Amino acid sequence: MPRPGFVLEVDRSTPPSLFWRGENFSLEKLPAGRSRVIYPPEPLPAIKDIDGAIRNALLNPIDQDPLPSLLFPGMKLTICFDDVSLPLPKMRRPDTRQRVIEAVLDMAADAGVEDVHLIAALGLHRRMHEYELRHALGDRIYDAFHPRGMLTQHDAEDPDNLAVIGETPHGEVLEINKRAADSDLVVYVNINSVPMDGGWKSITTGLASYRCLSAHHNGHTLQNTRSLSGHREHSALHQSIWRLGKVLRDHGPKLFQIETTLNTDMFPEQFSFIATREWEWSARERATYLATTKALKRTPIKLARKIFHGMEGPHQMTSIQAGETSAVHEITLEHVYRQQLVPVEGQTDILTMGIPFVCPYNPDGVMNPILVMCMGLGYLFNMYRNKPLVREGGVIIMTHPTYRDFNPVHHPSYIDFFEQVLPDTTDPVVMGQKWEKQFAEDEWFRHLYRTGNAYHGVHPFYAWYWGAHGQQWAGKVIIVGGDPATVRRLGFTPATTMDDAFEIASDVVGRAPTITHLHVPALLVADVS
Amino acid sequence: MGDKRSLTVAQLRRMAKVGDVASSAVQATLKPVRALGFPYRAPTRPKGVVVPEQPSKLGADFDTDWARKAPARAARKVINRGPMQALVQAIASPEVVGLDRLADLKELDPAPAVIFAPNHYSHVDTPLMITSVPEPWRSKLMVAAAADYFFDKKLKGTMAALALNAFPIEREVTTRKSSDQLRKLVDQGWSLVIFPEGGRSPDGWGQEFKGGAAYLAGRTGAPVVPVFIDGTGSIYGKGMKRPKPGKTKVVFGAPLWPEEGENTRRFNSRIEAAVTALGDEALTDFWTARQRAANGTNPKLTGPEFNGWRRQWALAEQRKLGKAGQRRRQNRRWPDLG
Amino acid sequence: MFSRKPARFAAARLAGALMPGRGAAVGPLSLEPDEAPALPTPEWVRLKPRLAGICGSDLALVDGTASAYFDPLVSYPFVPGHEVVADVVAHDGYAHGRHRRVVVIPVLHCAVRGIAPVCAACAAGHTNRCERVAFGHLEPGLQTGFCESTGGGWSTEMVAHPSQLVDVPDDLSDEAAVMIEPTACAVHAAKRYDGSHTAIIGAGTLGLLTLAAIRATSDATGPIIVTARYPEQKRLAKELGADVVCASDELPRWVRSTTHSLVVGDQLTCGCPRVFDCVGSSDSIQQALQVVAPGGEVEMVGMPGNVSLELTSLWHRETAIRGVYAYTRADFDTAIDVVRSAGLERLVSATYPLRDYTDAIAHAANAGRRGAVKIAFDMRSH
Repeated sequence: MPRPGFVLEVDRSTPPSLFWRGENFSLEKLPAGRSRVIYPPEPLPAIKDIDGAIRNALLNPIDQDPLPSLLFPGMKLTICFDDVSLPLPKMRRPDTRQRVIEAVLDMAADAGVEDVHLIAALGLHRRMHEYELRHALGDRIYDAFHPRGMLTQHDAEDPDNLAVIGETPHGEVLEINKRAADSDLVVYVNINSVPMDGGWKSITTGLASYRCLSAHHNGHTLQNTRSLSGHREHSALHQSIWRLGKVLRDHGPKLFQIETTLNTDMFPEQFSFIATREWEWSARERATYLATTKALKRTPIKLARKIFHGMEGPHQMTSIQAGETSAVHEITLEHVYRQQLVPVEGQTDILTMGIPFVCPYNPDGVMNPILVMCMGLGYLFNMYRNKPLVREGGVIIMTHPTYRDFNPVHHPSYIDFFEQVLPDTTDPVVMGQKWEKQFAEDEWFRHLYRTGNAYHGVHPFYAWYWGAHGQQWAGKVIIVGGDPATVRRLGFTPATTMDDAFEIASDVVGRAPTITHLHVPALLVADVS
Repeated sequence: MGDKRSLTVAQLRRMAKVGDVASSAVQATLKPVRALGFPYRAPTRPKGVVVPEQPSKLGADFDTDWARKAPARAARKVINRGPMQALVQAIASPEVVGLDRLADLKELDPAPAVIFAPNHYSHVDTPLMITSVPEPWRSKLMVAAAADYFFDKKLKGTMAALALNAFPIEREVTTRKSSDQLRKLVDQGWSLVIFPEGGRSPDGWGQEFKGGAAYLAGRTGAPVVPVFIDGTGSIYGKGMKRPKPGKTKVVFGAPLWPEEGENTRRFNSRIEAAVTALGDEALTDFWTARQRAANGTNPKLTGPEFNGWRRQWALAEQRKLGKAGQRRRQNRRWPDLG
Repeated sequence: MFSRKPARFAAARLAGALMPGRGAAVGPLSLEPDEAPALPTPEWVRLKPRLAGICGSDLALVDGTASAYFDPLVSYPFVPGHEVVADVVAHDGYAHGRHRRVVVIPVLHCAVRGIAPVCAACAAGHTNRCERVAFGHLEPGLQTGFCESTGGGWSTEMVAHPSQLVDVPDDLSDEAAVMIEPTACAVHAAKRYDGSHTAIIGAGTLGLLTLAAIRATSDATGPIIVTARYPEQKRLAKELGADVVCASDELPRWVRSTTHSLVVGDQLTCGCPRVFDCVGSSDSIQQALQVVAPGGEVEMVGMPGNVSLELTSLWHRETAIRGVYAYTRADFDTAIDVVRSAGLERLVSATYPLRDYTDAIAHAANAGRRGAVKIAFDMRSH
C-alpha cells in the first residue's frame, strides 16, 4: 500500500534533503528545529488491465451516451490529444494517448466512420517533431494517418482553419480549430498530471486561436490566478475558461472528453533515489546518487541534457474516465488529489524548491531562465490549495544553474524576450502593455511557430505570466547556484550556496525563519490550512 | 639489575610512543573518511518517521543457491579439509564410531542423500558433524541452520552459507517453501544435517526433538541417520565465553525410514529414541543400551524430571561418565622455585 | 619617438598579441630627449602641447598590428600624437597679440605641404582625401603624429602650419579640447546618418563620439542601436542618446525584431539602412553586413586593416562598405559645438605624464575593460 505524503519536521538526525539543480542534484542541510520537508505521496497502484479500463470508460461514459452510439457512418470525427508537454518526463511506450486513441479508432471502424481526423492540441506550444508524434501515438496511427494528411497539428494563427463558436457575456470570443468546430463529434484525449489541466481547458486552450487565448492568458488574469489547483473560485483563468466552456457546450460541436490520470512513478528504476525519502536510501541508492552527481558535474551540459531528456518514466495509469467534460473533470480532479494532495499546517517564511531539468515548455529542449522562473513561481509555487505554502512577503529559494542558454529552434522568441523585454521590465502587466503585441504579431515568430518547431512569439510572456502571482506574493526570490547576471535580469537574487541564500533571506524574514522544502518531483499539491 | 629494569621501562616507553605515533597516523588517515556524512554513510533517521519493512532478503528468504555452485564448493572443500578440520581436532579430538552402520547405504549406487539427525549441545557440533560425516555424503552436505540466528545479517549469512553450506530453516515449524526447496535439493543428491532439537541446549541437558527431521524425511523420502554427539557441551556449551578443549565422541546410528502409515510424530519419537539409545551406548556399552532401549529405560537425554541444583548435579554425574570425563591432561605450569 | 626597427616591430607584435598595449615596452616606441623639429618654412609655428590623446591607430602602431599600407605613408622616426591641444609659441617669424590655445587639424594636405596648385581633392574642399600626403617639402606622413618633419603631440614641442590651427574657445577646458579632434572624426561620420534605423557597432571612443555627433547634429529621432561590451560603455551610450544598448551577440536579434525582419540562415532579410562600424575587425564588419538592410551602407568608422570577409551578401543585397576618414576644418568647427553641448570632456578618463608612457598605453589599450574611454598625455607641468 503506498504511503500518503507527509510533512517531516527536520531535526538533528535528519539527513540533508535532495534538491534538483537542473541537470544535476544536490543535498542541502536544512536548519533543524524550524524546517520541514513536504514529501509527496507514493505512487498509487496502477490499473492492471489498462485496455479493459479504457473500453469500459468508453462504453460507460459519465453523463453521456456510450461512444459507439455516437458514431455513425458518414460522420466527421475529430480526435484531439494533449501535446508533448505531458507527461514529464515522457512515458514509456505505449503512451496512454496511443492506447486510448486506438480504442476509439477501433470503435469508429466498427461503426463505419470514414472521415477521421487527429489533431495535436498544441495551443501556442511548439509543433511536435515526428519522433514525438510517433512516441505519443505509436507508429501504427502515425503511419496510417499522417501520410493522408489526417493527422495535423493545431495552428492558432491559421486564419483559414479557425472558426468562431460564440462569445461569453464577458466579451471573450471563443474561436477554435475549424475542423473540430465542423465535426459531428470531437473526442478529446487528455493526460492529467496537474489539477489545472483538463476539463474545458483542453479544447478552449489547446484548439483555440491566438485571439481567443489572449483574452485569458494575460498578466492581469494570471496575477489573479491564485493556485493552479483547478479551483475556479481562486482562479481568474479558470473562471474565464469555464465561461468559454459553456459557450462551447451550447454552441459548439458534440464533445466526448476522455481524461486519464497517472501515478507519480515518474523516473526510471536507476534514478530511484529521486523518489525515495533520504533516510530510506539504500547503499545502492547512495552510491547511485554519488556516482550520478559526480559524473554529471563532469559531463558537458549538452550530453547531460540528452541523457535527462532521453529518460522515460513508467507513469502508470491510475484512472480513466470519459463522457461529459465537467462531470469527467470532477472525477479526474478527485483522482489527481488522491495521488498528489498533502495536508500541510500553516504557512512558512521561506519556501525552498529544486528546479529540475524540464518543465512543460521544454521537453527535449533547454530549460532557459524564463522557464526557470515559470517552473518555480508558476508551477511549483502554485501547487497549493487554500493558501500558498509561503507567507505573503516571504522568500522563495530555488536551486538551478540558470545558465543563459536557449534552444534557438524551440524558443526563438524567448531569446528576444530575455534580451529586450527583461532588461526593461519584469512586471507582467507593464510588459503586457508595452511589449506583448510586438512579439505576438512578429511575422518571423509567427512563421517559426507555424512551420517550424517554435513556441509562439507571445509564449515567453505567458510563461512569465504563470509566475505573476508568485512574483507578486514573494518578498524575495533567490536562486542558489544560478549565473548571477542572468538571475539578476530575472529580477531575482543569486546566491552561491544554500547557507548564503538563508543569510540573504534574513534581510526579509529575520534570523530564525521557518523553512519549508517542497520535495519535488514527484508532483504534489499542498493543502495548506 | 637496576640498569636492566630501567632499560626495560625505557623500552616500554619507546614502544608506547611508537604505538601512539602509529595510532595517530591511522587516525589522521581515517579522519577525512570519518568526516564524510550522508550520502557517503548511511543516513540517520529523523524523529517520528516510520520506515516500512523492506521485503527481507534475510532470514528464511536468504538466497544460498550460490553456495552449492562449483566455485563455492571448491572454496568450502579447502576450508573444511584445512582450517576447520584442524580446529575441530584441536579443541574436540573427536572419536567417530558406528560408521559401519552406514556401509549398506554406501554400497548403493549412487549413495542416496541422507538426513543426519544429531543432538545439539554446542556450536562445535556443526563443524564436528561436517568433518565426521563420511564420504560420499561429506562433499554434498548441507546444514540446516536457524534462519533467525545465522541469516539475520548479510555478512554472517554469507559466511555460514560459504563455510558450512548452511541452509536457512525456521526453528519451530518447517515451512512448505523451505521443505519444497529442500526436497528439490535432496533429489539432486544433497544430504542434510538437521538438529531436531531446534537449537543448542540451554542447560547442558538435551531438549525434546521437534518434528523437522521426521517431516523432511517424510517429504523427501531420504533416510534419517540418528547421531549422538557426546562431550561438546562442556567444550563450548551455550553461555560459555571461550571454548575449553576436551574430548568428544560421535556415534552414528543405523538409518531409519518412516514406516508404512507412520505419521511424522511417531517417526520423530522413533528418531529421538534412537538418538537416546545411542547416547546410552556412548556412555555405557552397546548391549546395555540395547537392552534398556528394548525396555524403554534408556536415560533420557533431556535429563531428570526435577529442576534446580539437582538437575545440574545430575548433569555433572552424567558428564563424568562420558567422554567429557576423560579430560585431556593439562600441562600444569608450576611456579619456578629454583 | 617611434622609429622603424623591424626587430622591434616584431617584438611589439608579439607582446601586443599577448596583451594589448604591451608593445609599448618592447616595441619601436621610446622616450627620447626633446629635439624640436626645425620649422619647414618660416610660416610655420611652434607649439607646446598641453594634452595629447592616445588614439586607436596609435595603439595599432605600438602593438605592431597596423597595416603595412601605412608604411610608405609615414616617415621614421616620428613622434606620435595627433589629438593635440597646445599653446602656440611666439617666435621671430610669427607674432601674435595674445596667448593662443589651439587644437591641431593633423591632416597634412597640399596647403600644409606648400604644394600649389593644390590637388583636385583639396580644391574640392575634401582635404582629408588629399592626393599628396607623401609629397611636397615635408617628409611623407598622412597626419601630424606620423611625420618626421612635424613632430607629434606626445612631446613637449612640435611644429604646425597655421592652416592646421583651430582656436579653442576659452570656455572649453583642455580635457574638452583634446576631444575635439576625435569628435571631428565622428562629426564627419555623422554626415552619413540619414535619420533611418541605425546601428552603431562598438562603444569605444569612436562609437560613443559617433553616437554623440549624430544626436547633436541631426534632428531626426530614428532609433539607434549601439552594441557595447562593458558596463561603463553601456552607461555612456545610454546617456549619449542610444535607444537600445546591447551586447554584440544580441544585435542581430534586436535589429530583427525592431525592423520586423525575417531570417534566412544567419542573414536578416531586412535590417538597418545605415550601420556604423566603429570597431573595424572582421567580426564587426561581418556582423554589420548581417544586419544592414538591402541597398544599405556600412560606414567604416573604425580602421579595419587586413580582414577576411564573406561578401556574397554584399553582392546579393547590393550593400556597400564605405570608409570614413578624418575631417575637414568645417568638421572641427562643428565638433567644438558637439563637445560643448554633449559635455564630452567626461570621456577623458585619465591623463599620464610622458614618462609613464607604458602605463598610459596599457591603460588605453584596455580602456573598455578598465572602465575608461580616452586616455591622454599631460604635458602641462613641463
